Amino acid sequence: MCASSVISGTTLGATRRIRSISGAATGQLARQRPAQPVAWTEAEAIRLAQAGNAAAFEFLYQLHGRRVYALCLRMVGNPADAEDLMQEAFLQLFRKIGTFRGESAFSTWLHRMTVNVVLMRLRKKSLPTDSLEETLEPDAENSGPKRDVGAPDLRLSGAVDRVNLERSIEKLPPGYRTVFVLHDVQGYEHNEIASIMGCSVGNSKSQLHKARTRLRELLQEEIRQQAREERKAAKTPSGSLE
Amino acid sequence: MQCKELESVLETQGLGQLSQDARLHLATCGACQGLVADLDTIISAAKALPAEVTPPDRIWISLRAQLQAEGLIKEPVEVADPSSWWESFTAWMKPRAFATVAAAALVLAAAVYVTRRPHNPSSGVAKNQPAVESARPAQPQVTASAPASSPSPVNVRPKGPALSKEKDLAPSPSESASFTLNQAELDVPNMQLAGNSQVDAALRQNLRTLNAFIAECEQHLKQNPQDEIAREYLNTAYQQKADLLAAMMESGRGDN
Repeated sequence: MCASSVISGTTLGATRRIRSISGAATGQLARQRPAQPVAWTEAEAIRLAQAGNAAAFEFLYQLHGRRVYALCLRMVGNPADAEDLMQEAFLQLFRKIGTFRGESAFSTWLHRMTVNVVLMRLRKKSLPTDSLEETLEPDAENSGPKRDVGAPDLRLSGAVDRVNLERSIEKLPPGYRTVFVLHDVQGYEHNEIASIMGCSVGNSKSQLHKARTRLRELLQEEIRQQAREERKAAKTPSGSLE
Repeated sequence: MQCKELESVLETQGLGQLSQDARLHLATCGACQGLVADLDTIISAAKALPAEVTPPDRIWISLRAQLQAEGLIKEPVEVADPSSWWESFTAWMKPRAFATVAAAALVLAAAVYVTRRPHNPSSGVAKNQPAVESARPAQPQVTASAPASSPSPVNVRPKGPALSKEKDLAPSPSESASFTLNQAELDVPNMQLAGNSQVDAALRQNLRTLNAFIAECEQHLKQNPQDEIAREYLNTAYQQKADLLAAMMESGRGDN
């Protein structure tokens, strides 16, 4: 499986991007725990964690936990599973931290583990049609976005809110969902996503476009469903609910 | 360019870098305009979703326990907060300060005991004080002998009476011990000594008893300065009071 291949490295742009993420996270951490983040860089914390330093483990957890939790939450859709997956991802990370040599960004390494943990869980729970292999290497006939030629042109502008967007994201196949969340929600670039997912940049771009167009369909369906329910509610006499 | 070709462009290049051909097609195709507009809407809505969500604290607690159980953490987890180093330092110093006060009181009590002991064990209680008094004049004699080696007028000046006066003004070791203990005792009234009110009351009662006994000894010694037994009782009472105060402060520190 391509997602389990070794991360070869990151580009300069990716490294800069990840540094900026770490910096932002450090700022948030500084507000929570005033002096500790100032005292350590991520590299120092990694080195100390490799030696078993408890505070360094916590530092790394605080530094990246919010992004990892957000990713897990978007991927599985419910907090209980997200907590479980986040703990599993960090546990794997800390178990293997002794092997981290800095070839890739720590953030990329962590996100890759998280994505693997999440996809593994989803694969166990989901139907065969939702498997990672199919979503990463989609069948042109079945997995691509569908365009209903004769369907009315329902525009999404002004109709997409957070609730129906999140609900539609949850309905995306796991592979699409992962790329979409990483790129459009968390702001990763395609080369970083390629490292995280263990695929090519082109594949990441293709997955993202298909995820967006599939999401469009899901949102259109969501909006149509809402409209149907509103019409139904309008037709129902007020006393008939009892 | 056809609609399928535009979609292929969107897939490989994204929305931001459309070629001239793609833009021309987009200008004339309503369906593709709708597609691009919807994709823009989705991208904007996705960017508005929070990229970071604060996880519940229980995740770290559980994770830490797991790391400890697996032996990955090789030291206690407690993280010292460097911003509160002063509080940590004072917290670290506080019991030591109390212990120092108690130790100082004990040293002073011992000093009182040693200095007030009769120099001649064979002499009686009544004879001791005159012996001490007769020893005092000896100090000016030592000082007076200094001019032989040093003609300085400062050293030649007889110091006997002045020294005697300084000694009268300076607090005696006994008074110093009493003062030190009283200073330490000032912290006690507002302190909640122990969680148990019965223990608290018993400690305070013991302190009152000791204070009354000390006052009685001091009064007795003022009237009978030669009474060595009373002095010994007083020194013992000072020592007990120092111990009791240290215990009370330690108890209060632990509870507060």
